[in-house]
Amino acid sequence: MANQLKQFHLVGILFVVLSLTNAVKAAETKTYHLVLENHVFFPSEVTIPANQKVKLIITNKDASPEEFDSFDLNRERVVFAGKQAKIFIGPLPPGKYEFFGEFHPESARGIVIVKEVTQ
Amino acid sequence: MKYLLLFINLLACMIARADGMVVDKVYHPYVTANEREFEWRLMTSQTDNSNLLTQRFGYGHAVLENVALEIYAIGTRDENNNFELSAFEVESRWMLTQQGEFWADWGLVLEFEKQKAQDNFEASAGILFEKEFGRTSLTMNLFAIREWGESLDSEWESEFRLQYRYRYLPEIQPSIEIYAGEDFIGIGPGFMGVYRIDRQEQIKWDAGFITEVAHSGKNHTFRFAIEYEF
Repeated sequence: MANQLKQFHLVGILFVVLSLTNAVKAAETKTYHLVLENHVFFPSEVTIPANQKVKLIITNKDASPEEFDSFDLNRERVVFAGKQAKIFIGPLPPGKYEFFGEFHPESARGIVIVKEVTQ
Repeated sequence: MKYLLLFINLLACMIARADGMVVDKVYHPYVTANEREFEWRLMTSQTDNSNLLTQRFGYGHAVLENVALEIYAIGTRDENNNFELSAFEVESRWMLTQQGEFWADWGLVLEFEKQKAQDNFEASAGILFEKEFGRTSLTMNLFAIREWGESLDSEWESEFRLQYRYRYLPEIQPSIEIYAGEDFIGIGPGFMGVYRIDRQEQIKWDAGFITEVAHSGKNHTFRFAIEYEF
């Protein structure tokens, strides 16, 4: 029992340390805007820098909700009708990452292009 | 965040035993608004002396943008090999941080279970953690469990679950899983996947085959869950 207590204290301490890392303020995240209108994302192509976290702000101008979905980006988020939603993506290596609107997958489609930034 | 830290500390100070089947679902700290689902979950555990079976049927619904509720009917096979409805459970999942906003993602799950035949109860609270590393994700759950009732000793228990998953394809996401609690440490392969039927209608599956490694003797657990989301 003493050993188990010790093990679970260690696991608990691990969780505390991990949660403390969340308190560390990240550098300012770049923001990119997308508009969803008539069930189409505009722009449908967004280029972002490699290895940096960025914020996508999606404004849904349609009268029905949409769900931003991307297995490539590992994100899923509902954007309510007439509202905005924030989606944090990255840091990502260079490449192309597809996304789509789950409720209108035939029209609401887009791609995030991640490129190395040369100084 | 202060309350979260306090809760985790309390969780860590609780006693480290669990009476039931330690191997179960590894929870992810996410809730999607408007999500609704039916779920069937099966856990079967074979040791040298016993062959336990638990099944759950559940219905879940996101009641807020970051909170989902699920109710379960739980069936178990008893010592006479009869399978019967044995308990009911209510569960709430809370997405505490938005995915990707911080260094890691956090959630909370609260469960309350009552046995059908007797006034025996179980309440549990779990902290859910997930961190992305490229195309892989590390998920950890730490649970504090309280049992009490007419034929149960009142006691605190705890459980730990870990899953390290490779997001290979939506349908095939292999993983390694580790479980700890009640003198049990188990490890084994798992996989999960999702198949989109149409729009928000999708089938999700999740399975694992866990072998106990802390003691000699046979102790294998197979877990399987399938969800219909709509």
